[in-house]
Amino acid sequence: MAPFRRDMFWRHAGGLSLGLFFMTALATGAAQAQSAPGTDGFASAAPVGALEAPSLTPPPAPGLNFYGTPGLIDMPSAEMLPDGHFATTFSWFGGQSRYNLTFQALPWLSASFRYNGIRNLNLFGFSTYYDRGFDVRFRLLRERRYLPELTMGLQDFAGTGVYAAEYLVATKRIETPPLRFGGAAGRVPGQLKITAGLGWGRLGSHGAIGKIGGNRPSFVGGSTGGQLSYDQWFRGDFAPFAGVEWQANERWSFKAEYSSDAYRTETRASNVFERKSQVNLGLEYQRSPTTRIGAYYLYGSEFGVTAQFQLKPRHPMVPTQVPAPAPIVPRSQWATEAAHWSQDWAQSQNKRVEVRDLVAEDLKSHGLVLEAIDLKGTEAEVRFRNPRYRSYAIAVGRVARTMARALPPSVETFRIIPVRSGMGLSATVVRRSDLEDLEFAPEAVDGLAAVTAVTAAGPLPETAIFSGELYPAFSHSISPYADPAYFDPSRPFRMDLGVDLSASYAPAPGWRISGAIRQRVWGNVQDGRASNSVLPHVRTDQSFYAQHGTTLESLYVDRSWQPRHNFYARLRAGLFEAMYGGISGEVLWKPVASPLALGLETNYVIQRDYDQRFSFRDYKTFTGHASAYLELGKNYQAQVDVGRYLAGDYGATFSLFREFENGFKVGGFFTRTNVSAADFGEGSFDKGFYFRIPLGWLIGKESRNAYGLTIRPIQRDGGQRVGGVGGLYGDVRDAHRSSLTAQRARAWE
Amino acid sequence: MIAPRIRRALRNSLGAVAAVFALAACTGGQQEAGLELEILKTVRDQVKLRLKDKPERPPVTRALLDSLDDTYIEVRVEDSDLLAYLRPLLVKQDSTPGTLTLWVTEDSVTLALREGVLTATRGLRNDMLSASTLVTETGGRMGPRGQGARRYEIAALDNRSEVFTLACTVSDLGPETIEIVELTYQTRHLQEHCESESGLVVNDYWVDSRSGHLWQSRQWAGPTIGYMRIRQLTL
Repeated sequence: MAPFRRDMFWRHAGGLSLGLFFMTALATGAAQAQSAPGTDGFASAAPVGALEAPSLTPPPAPGLNFYGTPGLIDMPSAEMLPDGHFATTFSWFGGQSRYNLTFQALPWLSASFRYNGIRNLNLFGFSTYYDRGFDVRFRLLRERRYLPELTMGLQDFAGTGVYAAEYLVATKRIETPPLRFGGAAGRVPGQLKITAGLGWGRLGSHGAIGKIGGNRPSFVGGSTGGQLSYDQWFRGDFAPFAGVEWQANERWSFKAEYSSDAYRTETRASNVFERKSQVNLGLEYQRSPTTRIGAYYLYGSEFGVTAQFQLKPRHPMVPTQVPAPAPIVPRSQWATEAAHWSQDWAQSQNKRVEVRDLVAEDLKSHGLVLEAIDLKGTEAEVRFRNPRYRSYAIAVGRVARTMARALPPSVETFRIIPVRSGMGLSATVVRRSDLEDLEFAPEAVDGLAAVTAVTAAGPLPETAIFSGELYPAFSHSISPYADPAYFDPSRPFRMDLGVDLSASYAPAPGWRISGAIRQRVWGNVQDGRASNSVLPHVRTDQSFYAQHGTTLESLYVDRSWQPRHNFYARLRAGLFEAMYGGISGEVLWKPVASPLALGLETNYVIQRDYDQRFSFRDYKTFTGHASAYLELGKNYQAQVDVGRYLAGDYGATFSLFREFENGFKVGGFFTRTNVSAADFGEGSFDKGFYFRIPLGWLIGKESRNAYGLTIRPIQRDGGQRVGGVGGLYGDVRDAHRSSLTAQRARAWE
Repeated sequence: MIAPRIRRALRNSLGAVAAVFALAACTGGQQEAGLELEILKTVRDQVKLRLKDKPERPPVTRALLDSLDDTYIEVRVEDSDLLAYLRPLLVKQDSTPGTLTLWVTEDSVTLALREGVLTATRGLRNDMLSASTLVTETGGRMGPRGQGARRYEIAALDNRSEVFTLACTVSDLGPETIEIVELTYQTRHLQEHCESESGLVVNDYWVDSRSGHLWQSRQWAGPTIGYMRIRQLTL
């Protein structure tokens, strides 16, 4: 083979066999490598002894019980999940199925939601009785050398109370030698967990040893529910329960317990199963760090199973992978003559347009879009859109690299401004020579953060030139959709599937005309039950809206702008969502470094006709809220909205969220308005919880998409808000100082 | 010969499936692709990747390497058994001692080596964002020397980083003769032993007895990537 020049090799190697060989050099995931020739030269590498290299693997999580909380089989234990864990479990025995969601909100506090079905209960007018409930658990004492962990739990504390119970439980863990069997390497020691507790309510129904405060008010099936049943808590009979779990190794766990639940309703009032014993036995297998399955023999007569899935929001399913950026080549290596450093170029419009196009082109390679650029002799400002990266820190870092690569050497100060809907969100100011010097510094991350400032974006300079490709812009998409509906007593889960055709047109910065047509292909939401609400049916006519297969989902004109420093505003007119159209305005005050934001949203809306075309029903209303948003630290956010709701009711919504830096979000909310519990109907007041799982967290690829879901135990008409409007806070916060600082490690990626 | 035929058939049917997707789901303009679209695209890419023919590699011989004009290192990631050949992309000196060379694979994974000591990776999962080294001089014997702290900063978890600071000591394990694709080198085997509460890292370096050039090393690149074996194939 003839020798060839270096640059030719890389340009033309694709066609050569040797080149092909080197061109197919691999990175992770691309393909399987063949065995490397002659790697035995490394054999003299010292064997790593018992100590292992530092690890990112989270600590092992305790197994969950039939109620989805840490525990034995049907009984709880005092253990807590690792902070932030999000667990879903399914359990089944004797015709009773429970779907549980548990979130470890704080190291010492967890909350659970449960949906359960009891087959053949034949009570309260249902053959299969479906119910929903919430649990909350508090750790009172941490485990010490000789002291056990102590936890207090309130089970099904606010629903109709079919599973209502309270308990105090203690668990002590004792290390056992590592055992190698059943697919476990036996490197990790085992644990013997001994649990004992006292239960009230359902957990005090067998073998009671005492009584507090007279008889416990009894469970009323089919009542409205929703109110805190504090008059029952820790009242009436109490009974002991106990058990042991032997987590033999990282795979297998054996469980045995003595239950204090007599299953009175299921076995005496009805005939769901036959209870012969209070002793339950079980075996669990940890299939993967996420998945655990278990098989059990319960109450001397029934087999049971569980499937447990534990998601760790801080630990993505697949760690993110982004292509390596080109390095920053210091100007000292390529701008070697004095003439290279001249600022004359900045005077020439042609030259500036040329630089703009160069920057726009390079940004595209990072998946970013140039909005506008302002060029001066020693300073440059780039405004860009970020359709790819969940973290604005990496987007800002990539823009800085592009600027260091594409701008003339005389430019020393970079101002980098993410833009959304034409609004500049923040300005990161960084010096080019710092980028050149710090890229491979031992403490590159903190070093750069120390010399970078994040400030308000400020207005667009008059000398800025817009991208030549953006306005006017038309875009469209055809995409499948899934629209679920929950908790109808006759069918707990319904779904519509179909295709969305959406299009938008942006005539100028900040302006957008957007619309979506929806075609249902399959679905059964239309068979849902009719509303019995005594309030205006502002949300409960879902099944009427689902009667129509082809609908106009939305069509509106939208204008976003920054009226003044630290203020963001949006006006929208048209059809916002399936049920409402009208006119909406929102103003948000959010300084770039402030943990507090204030907002005001007002809407005049008209209810749309069931066919969801251009006609309206006879219901019009003013609705609007004043909102306060507060970052509490440690990823917690609180929000309070006070105002008038769709049914004309006045009140306030309280929300508490935990949003991890990767966008994984879990939280809950409740709304109290001047509608009485009786008028509201089942549930007494509006409440629910929310979670959002970012796509990037699941697939390990950069993406701004996420799967979000709000679940209400019951959908009623009180405390409801119009959809498809608002949202300025969420749009803005991501790119502000707290996020950029917390995620600063990504700036160098 | 059956396997390739099946693969071809699969690939063709995949094309049909892709066409159906393309009809049922598509996007145009500057609008961000929706969640459902992106999921479809990811699934499609994964299936394509699985069905792709793996490239056959000719054996690496010294004759083949001699015909190359360029400098190459070979890097093998132990845990994932991945292998890549890298060429230098940038050589630079900054305010930290030691010359830094940035090496790149064809598919844009980069490794930054300071006098042969790994200080950064990019384009992998849970990259090493930066690492301090025990390199004390520029242009002398390559590799680390003495003792001191090494600070590894690893991209990890939820858009943040984890820092592991380890106390390290470099010891000389004596002379060793190593072979790299038919060429033997007289080297000294240096071992960097790093320890802290978070764990133990042992890095090995084989440095030419006379020139001080680092021919071969085995270095830790973080909890997810694990250890890498690096050999200099051509100078």
